[in-house]
Amino acid sequence: MRRLRDERGFVGGFEVLPFGLLVFVAGTLLLTNVWAVIDGTLAASAAAREAARAYAEAPTAADAERAAVDAALAAVDGHGRDRSRATVRWDLGPTFERCAPNTVVVEYRVPTLTVPFVGAFGGGVITTSGRHTEVVDPYRTGLAIDDFDPETCRA
Amino acid sequence: MRSDERGSVLALMPAAVLIFVVLGALAVDASMSFLAERQVSNLAASVANDAATQGVDVLHYYATGEIVIDPARVREVADAAVARSGLGHLDDITIETDVVGVDVVVVRVHAVTRSMFSRVLPEGLEERTVAASAEASAERG
Repeated sequence: MRRLRDERGFVGGFEVLPFGLLVFVAGTLLLTNVWAVIDGTLAASAAAREAARAYAEAPTAADAERAAVDAALAAVDGHGRDRSRATVRWDLGPTFERCAPNTVVVEYRVPTLTVPFVGAFGGGVITTSGRHTEVVDPYRTGLAIDDFDPETCRA
Repeated sequence: MRSDERGSVLALMPAAVLIFVVLGALAVDASMSFLAERQVSNLAASVANDAATQGVDVLHYYATGEIVIDPARVREVADAAVARSGLGHLDDITIETDVVGVDVVVVRVHAVTRSMFSRVLPEGLEERTVAASAEASAERG
């Protein structure tokens, strides 16, 4: 039987093309998902830090929580992320007193893509989070000094 | 082009995909290291800030009016900050504190971050040490 020379080996390598393409697509989507989660974590981490600092440095207790949330959402905006996907909460606090540690947790819901053969991670949304703790300065202005004992900071 | 080179791209395709995946994995691991560095940097800055205020020797201040930072108190503040930092995903977190002069606190934080993908590579970079330092001084406001 006569065969064309340039078709030799075709069967022995052709299957690589669709396989490689699928691995390429799946790998790209997988890495994109992982990167999105890491980027979301970076944004949440920065937002938590900004929020905790804003809370600890707020002039009054009445302004503190609002300032913290505003700072967190501004940080999320600054990272180019969608602020509606972010939530701000306190693990410790909020306590606007001298020496009080306040731990702010910012959670960011990252939408994920569906990866061929793997599916969507976390039901289509992965929640990343960042947390940061700041202690209200024991010697700051604007807070009551009656009955304040610096030794309580050791507790 | 010689006819016996036809189809050689088939052999290159898996190699190209493999290279792409490996580079992507390295990029993700580098990003995770960057994230760990940011977290360690935040911790160092936070500890330095807290230590510069909570570390003030209050009795000495009341007696002399001079701000002096107590190294032992700074150490306590640093240990407490690490305990509540929530950086459980980092290994071997170590924190060094130093009081320079009488009113400057220097904090150095080291931690080990583990890679997600690089560990599968030959001679993979399974872990990487990240470090950060921060400095704060206590001043009369």
